[in-house]
Amino acid sequence: MDKYEKAFNDLIEKDLKIEPRDWMPEKYRKNLIRQVSQHAHSEVIGMQPEGNWLLRAPSLRAKQVLLAKIQDEAGHGLYLYSVAETLGISRQELIQQLHDGKAKYSSIFNYPTLTWADMGAVGWLVDGAAIVNQVSLQRTSYGPYSRGMVRICKEESFHQRQGYEIMIQMTNGTEDQKAMAQDALNRFWEPSLMMFGPHDADSAHSSQSMQWKIKRESNDSLRQKFIDKTVPQIEFLGLEVPDVNCKWNEATGHYDHSPFNWDEFWNVVNGNGPCNAERLAHHRKAHTDNAWVREAAYQYAQKTEISAVAQ
Amino acid sequence: MEKGDRVWEVFIQKKSGLAFKHVGSIHAYDKKMAVQNARDLYTRRGEGREIWVVPAEAIVSTPLDQADAFYDPSEDKVYRHPTFYEIPKEVKNI
Amino acid sequence: MSITIKNELAQFLIRLADSEIILGQRLAEMCSKGPFLEEDIALSNLALDLFGRGEELLKIIADLEDNAYTPDDYTFRRNEREYFSYKIVEQPNNDFAWVIARQYFHDVYVREIFRQLLNHSDQQIAGLSEKVLKEIDYSYLHARDWMVRLGIGTEESNSRLQKAVDSLWKYSEELFAFDQIDTNVLDDSDQIKTVWDNEIDQVFSEANLEKPEEFKRHILDFRQGFHSEYLGMILADMQYLPRAYPDAQW
Repeated sequence: MDKYEKAFNDLIEKDLKIEPRDWMPEKYRKNLIRQVSQHAHSEVIGMQPEGNWLLRAPSLRAKQVLLAKIQDEAGHGLYLYSVAETLGISRQELIQQLHDGKAKYSSIFNYPTLTWADMGAVGWLVDGAAIVNQVSLQRTSYGPYSRGMVRICKEESFHQRQGYEIMIQMTNGTEDQKAMAQDALNRFWEPSLMMFGPHDADSAHSSQSMQWKIKRESNDSLRQKFIDKTVPQIEFLGLEVPDVNCKWNEATGHYDHSPFNWDEFWNVVNGNGPCNAERLAHHRKAHTDNAWVREAAYQYAQKTEISAVAQ
Repeated sequence: MEKGDRVWEVFIQKKSGLAFKHVGSIHAYDKKMAVQNARDLYTRRGEGREIWVVPAEAIVSTPLDQADAFYDPSEDKVYRHPTFYEIPKEVKNI
Repeated sequence: MSITIKNELAQFLIRLADSEIILGQRLAEMCSKGPFLEEDIALSNLALDLFGRGEELLKIIADLEDNAYTPDDYTFRRNEREYFSYKIVEQPNNDFAWVIARQYFHDVYVREIFRQLLNHSDQQIAGLSEKVLKEIDYSYLHARDWMVRLGIGTEESNSRLQKAVDSLWKYSEELFAFDQIDTNVLDDSDQIKTVWDNEIDQVFSEANLEKPEEFKRHILDFRQGFHSEYLGMILADMQYLPRAYPDAQW
């Protein structure tokens, strides 16, 4: 093992950060690019299902809060694209990978948002699951990613509260609203649990990611954390957990649950979810339709700006 | 690939008297856009009093202490962004 | 529910409030559709400012109307003919040039209005104007920069911007047909037209744009609740939930 690799391993072992200019194994760099870019793409694609109800938000406050949340998500996408770029890939390449289907994003966003209650369910469950994951990632070994996560976590808790507030309002409301809330929970419960990824045994990247401290906790452990946190929240709302086998287990100190539908998970991951095609088509269209804008901005800068780069 | 926008590094001074702190990077095509984008992304929650944006390729950095352990001293760029490195068009697959 | 505004000052302010909210709604449509992610954030920032501003104005209006209705009532339960938004803000996001031209025209005009409201005797209005002017300055700079960028950038961007300007131009006419409700509140409505003319001439020259011909049209005035056909569709989306579930609290 040469001195570069030894120094790198040393940093990892001591829980110190790897910075952009440090030597790193090529696989570490590639693994990170994959994980960070997927995280970034998720934030950006996630703007679509939420944007779907923005125009129809039922009060001025709800509209503003939802818009602020979506805007935060765009911002998180930008922080993460910046992190990925420090690893030697450009934003353009990242977008190309997304469009070519080479890069993935969180499959939860391939589900449709069918009612206003979905804004509650998504904010509460999807952001809730993201928070569990992101809190853990604050300790990730790559410096810029870790700092990005700290920033994102600070902004994220308002998102979950916004979603839960909608759920509270609806479960305290009319019969129609209560039914809408239960329906949204029914549809988003299992897909939210799938956000933590496959069982670690079935995950190709998990063990290497754990070794390099890119990932700090296992998928299953994070998923169980989320279930344990969320079931009491469901009960508080007076809603039913969409899983008859979800019961407190005194012996383990956790909630039990039914086995998951991995068929559906892999189907969605592989492109056959309800909205995969639509999400990508939307993103591609916005990008392509606006190529003339980017070209104009580039040409304008060429025509007018004296280069700011010190000679 | 489109001829692109540029990467700019962003430095923010939270309050007068404090030092400017590096907070991350943004993309923009020109100076005015760079300042606006930096403000929109990094001061949405009122985090700053003043913003500096610098084209990333303008930043020159010193070698690390452990230069011999980690680092090719001829590399003085802040990170590996591909657009910092001009590759001639004839070269493929890069 | 038929909601009418009785107080004269409120009748002036509702025109502003409605325009900000409808324009906010148009910008909200751009969510995830911008030319690049940074611009998505910029546009949603503007939308947030507009909704916030609209809501603050509606609070003042509600006050003036003895709290007969809430800001949400005004937003979600007035019908098409009870809205008083400018037609120009109802126009669609046909492309990014339309978004920018519409924003620029709006900002030049509304900024002048708020500059004059800065001196209003009502402390709430003066205070709101001070806050709003900071936001509008920022929005105006962003829009103006893009007018020039698109005007100069490429032949295509110039041509798209010219098309947008040509189409939107006719809706600028009614903005300056001030009536007594306006002149009772504004110190100097002529000044608004003067500033507009100077601004337009300057920007058009910088951006290589042709100023469309001006001629008198008879366009039913927004001040009487006449709108483009777009408003009905905008309200149909915006008001759907409260109208579908009238007994629900949201």
